[in-house]
Amino acid sequence: MPSLSILPQLIVNGLIAGSIYALAASGFSLAYYVIRFLHFAQGAAIAIAAYALFTLSNQVGLNGILSILLTISIAVAATLLMNYAVYTPLRKRKATGVILLISSLAILTFTASLIRALFGPSTKTLLLSKHNKSFDFGLFTITSIQLAIIISAVLLFLLLWILMRKTRLGKAMRALSDNKEVAQVVGINPEKIYTYTFIIAGIFAGISGILIGLEQNLYPRMSVIIIVKGFISSVVGGINSVPGAIIGGLFIGLVENLGIWFLPSGYKDAISFSILLLFLLLRPRGILGRGMRDDT
Amino acid sequence: MILDYFVILMTSLAFYTILVLALNLAVGFTGLINLGHMVFFGIGAYTSAILTTHGIPWYFAFILAGLLASVLGTLIAAITVRLKGEYFAMVTLGLVFIATAISRNWISLTRGALGIPGVPDIIRDNFYYMIFSWAVAGLCILFLYKLTNSETGKVLQAIRDDETAAAILGKNTYFYKVLSIAISTFFAGIAGSLFAHHINFVDPSVFDLEFFIFVISMLIAGGLASLKGSIVGVFGLSIVSEAMRYIVVSPSLIGAVRDIVYVVILIIILIYKPKGIFGKVDV
Repeated sequence: MPSLSILPQLIVNGLIAGSIYALAASGFSLAYYVIRFLHFAQGAAIAIAAYALFTLSNQVGLNGILSILLTISIAVAATLLMNYAVYTPLRKRKATGVILLISSLAILTFTASLIRALFGPSTKTLLLSKHNKSFDFGLFTITSIQLAIIISAVLLFLLLWILMRKTRLGKAMRALSDNKEVAQVVGINPEKIYTYTFIIAGIFAGISGILIGLEQNLYPRMSVIIIVKGFISSVVGGINSVPGAIIGGLFIGLVENLGIWFLPSGYKDAISFSILLLFLLLRPRGILGRGMRDDT
Repeated sequence: MILDYFVILMTSLAFYTILVLALNLAVGFTGLINLGHMVFFGIGAYTSAILTTHGIPWYFAFILAGLLASVLGTLIAAITVRLKGEYFAMVTLGLVFIATAISRNWISLTRGALGIPGVPDIIRDNFYYMIFSWAVAGLCILFLYKLTNSETGKVLQAIRDDETAAAILGKNTYFYKVLSIAISTFFAGIAGSLFAHHINFVDPSVFDLEFFIFVISMLIAGGLASLKGSIVGVFGLSIVSEAMRYIVVSPSLIGAVRDIVYVVILIIILIYKPKGIFGKVDV
């Protein structure tokens, strides 16, 4: 067992990893809450954002702010395109949630393959990450990007909470989530709210793609790897609770990193997947979730 | 040359046929959306690879590949088949990620990402291995044909269409669902073993989502709850896949372009022809 002195660093690493998972989980979880399907393609939007930023800042050479704003717009456009080209026609023919899930997984592998075809299989590094600075606090070190990731996760948590609880849009989303038919009767147009949901999910994907791209390297299968952790975080935090995704992300990040105390680091994934299975089987509503619509 | 190519292609179609038929039994006939099907294929492939590279005779490894996949499948099904559609899909999808993590990290057993090379041939002559593979596929087709047309097959389809009604009629739906997964995973394991001895190599990429998307595309294209459909789906998509070899000029792009084409085909079918070619039920 490693010495106690690395514990603060492990906790900080856990918070960083957890915040990354939370970023990935936020849009995924929002889509599930409002539209009731597992939007795995959120991972595709995140990877598209990361590669868009790579193209704009590394290859085209745009300045930081402009390329970041364009990247977020591209992530939103990609997400809306998925909705328009795939999800909307499927919803029109009343496809089940499982079919939407399969099509979402298909979009995910589609994007990974498209990125591999366009950018090649090698990993890429964003030039913007050169500005990264490291701070040493004695007990632990943290970089400015890592700080930005943690702060963004906290801000997203607050924003999501305000959105869901304090705005008209959030009210309409909650109404749709509770009962679509009744929501329609009182004049809520589901397709319109779904479009707003995907716009918000796209913005989250853009921000996540930028931060994750800066913190890690870019590689074609990042879409799959990232959203799997987002999925686990959402389920563990409570897939019926949007802020739950953030809590779940932090929980998984901490457990994975503290687990290295007992297990080789290669087993990080195995730890989180085992937690996922335990939650799905024993407490499918997750940490924060309320009872689900078709609870078994 | 051309004959060699044909023989190798036909051999892979045999294990794809078994794999897709097995998936059809769970998804199409019983309505259990098992997204972890490739886990059992992988268990079969790894079992065969590990045992035969340690000097155990192939026939023993071959049977054990099916049995081990089925035992694990049965255990997992026993815990999970009570979950409603979407949750069952989520748990089985989770299995894929666990299998990936184990195959990558249990290095003393699986050699991790390096994979296991040198899996011996069952039959050295490719032509006779093709015959052998199709003999196994033929037995699988015959078994599933008998099963799906039997009393048991009717119960499975009743469960898919209306589980409550099946239960009210006195059928132990839990038992039948577990049985369906037990048989389905047995054949997935057998297909995995044929695969391992065919390409003489196994690595964690058997669990890749891309591979599963290819397999489920064959199933959905052919149509759910139709054995004929699954066979047509396997042949149809494989021809598309092989054609890509000649259309795509750059060899480094073939894999990526192929995966893209499958996804497009899958999504078009899901939207415009959800019953597939011969399917009896909507996906």
